[in-house]
Amino acid sequence: MTSSNIDECKSDYPASILYRHNSKWADVTPIEQDDSLTSVVRIAYSEKFKDVFDYFRAVIKSQEISERAFKLTSDAVATCPANYTVWQYRRKLLKDLKKNLFDELEMIGNFIIEEPKNYQVWYHRRVLVEWLQDATQELSFTAEVLQDDPKNFHAWQHRQWCLNVFSLWNNKDHNELAFVTDQIKEDVRNNSAWNQRYYVINNTTGFSDEILDNEIRYTWHWITKAPNNESSWNYLRGILNGRRKAYLHPNLKSDCLYLVSQEVRSSHLLAFLLDLFEEELDDVNNDIGNDYKLQLLAKAGEFCNDLSDEVDPVRRKYWKYMQRQLINKFGQCDSLKINGDPV
Amino acid sequence: LSLAFFALSGLDVLNALDSLSQILKEDTIQWIYKLQISLNNDGSNAKQCGFRGSTDIFFDNMDPASPFYNSHIAMTYVALNCLLILGDDLSRVDKDGLTSGLRALQLDNGCFAATLNGSEDDMRFVYCACCISTMINDWRGIDKNKAVDFILSSIGYDGGISQGPELESHAGSTFCAIASLYLMGCLDTCLADKQSEILKRWLVNRQIDGFQGRPNKLQDTCYSFWVGATLKILGLYDCIDFERQRQYLLSTQSQLTGGFAKWTDTFPDPLHSYFGICGLSLAREFDLLEIHPALNITMRAYDHLQRLS
Repeated sequence: MTSSNIDECKSDYPASILYRHNSKWADVTPIEQDDSLTSVVRIAYSEKFKDVFDYFRAVIKSQEISERAFKLTSDAVATCPANYTVWQYRRKLLKDLKKNLFDELEMIGNFIIEEPKNYQVWYHRRVLVEWLQDATQELSFTAEVLQDDPKNFHAWQHRQWCLNVFSLWNNKDHNELAFVTDQIKEDVRNNSAWNQRYYVINNTTGFSDEILDNEIRYTWHWITKAPNNESSWNYLRGILNGRRKAYLHPNLKSDCLYLVSQEVRSSHLLAFLLDLFEEELDDVNNDIGNDYKLQLLAKAGEFCNDLSDEVDPVRRKYWKYMQRQLINKFGQCDSLKINGDPV
Repeated sequence: LSLAFFALSGLDVLNALDSLSQILKEDTIQWIYKLQISLNNDGSNAKQCGFRGSTDIFFDNMDPASPFYNSHIAMTYVALNCLLILGDDLSRVDKDGLTSGLRALQLDNGCFAATLNGSEDDMRFVYCACCISTMINDWRGIDKNKAVDFILSSIGYDGGISQGPELESHAGSTFCAIASLYLMGCLDTCLADKQSEILKRWLVNRQIDGFQGRPNKLQDTCYSFWVGATLKILGLYDCIDFERQRQYLLSTQSQLTGGFAKWTDTFPDPLHSYFGICGLSLAREFDLLEIHPALNITMRAYDHLQRLS
């Protein structure tokens, strides 16, 4: 009998047949949990839970290696999927009993679909993939999980690990960048997908000048479609950071100002412009004459005011803080004065 | 043990610890120490030492070097928290064992696993390791340089911090990372000004009414702590919108049973109840006791720790 299916485990274990009534376990003395000193957090274990773990304690004590012990761990993880020790003992049994690891992979896949936010089941799958040195199912598996929950952190993490260790970025069957592009198209606000985009490019082509130009264009397309989407603005700022100065880009400043002129009320747009002007001010501070510097500063001050007064009132106090930062760095001007509520 | 922590620390923040009898407090301390795995005579179990979360695989006369009888780093963290909250002097904590146990869990890249013999590793456990070391005032368990390297390599392109390199930035891991740098005493030297400013922007952007954990995700009560405490450590907490946060948090309170849920009109649970009141405590509301934003215990419990050294 294999335990490739947790339903199979459960149907073999109806509530009426407890381990302590099972003649096949008559030779084992169950060990009750030692709750003698427990005054707090006395958990009201179900009869089934207590039964399974009374026998698990016995098996851990005797270090029994057997098929029936393996079956017991199936029941134990079905009862309490977060218990590290059960999963660890199960892995020992998998090795010592030379169990079919592909069957186990199928089992854990079904388990993950039922419990997609449990750390232990994902870790168990990762170990199996490592033992098998076979990640051929992993991209389709994580894609399946992401269909139900496109932002599942564990799925993205497992996917990244497989891509990295097994170099699955790009082959005849799969292109990760294409997958990411689809995810973003599906939901432009999926922050996990944008993160994955950065990850793929960073680990394959890198952000060369040509790629960077392309990515700026790509991101700008999605910004115009959804100008209030933090994820795309974060990505834009992220790819430029340390590589290219936004204010030196031929179009970015004018494109952003155009959106402002079209009354696009996006806090991220104004914040991006604020950062752009601050970066330019950093560079010109000592070089160019006062007039230009004052123009930049005035504009930056206006953005801060717009943000704190109208566009991003939740962060009113933060934008006042940003104003003070600018003043400390560059001095005051008409739109940039220390006034209003102190923080 | 984590449930005990939510309950005990929660009562502490509510300034209601004395609703527990002295006997109950002492029994609890005994129970916690029962969960400790101390060094055995020949030190063969050094790597296993620390605390477990329950007596799940405990049995009488068990060999403290039993295979699979391993401590769990998060349980060691909450065990020490609970002991301090209950006023224990930590004299029965096996520091040699604890630090050996921690060392065995640190990986080459500086990150920590949670337990021996097979465990995931991520920023949560780096945080636990730093808290543990702070509380026992003994840093033999951590290679600080490696831990710092790991944290810095986990800063994302958006300025937030993730569970590990190149993963998506997340408020939980950001808290763990910043609190760790703070506890290791190198927050100001490790984080460049520009990095710090981008991080602050990322954090304040988490506020909707309550706080979310990642961009474009739903707000959730517990992020009032993860984000709030990080902002407190970075000195920018006063920039949040207190009114909106209070309204959100109170809206997640259950009118029937008390306690907080992650969302409005959802069942409450111990974790969200605890972090909900921590969120309100950070905002210094409702006469709640002040909490230490890095260690996640009341300042009262922290003062007790200070007096022990």
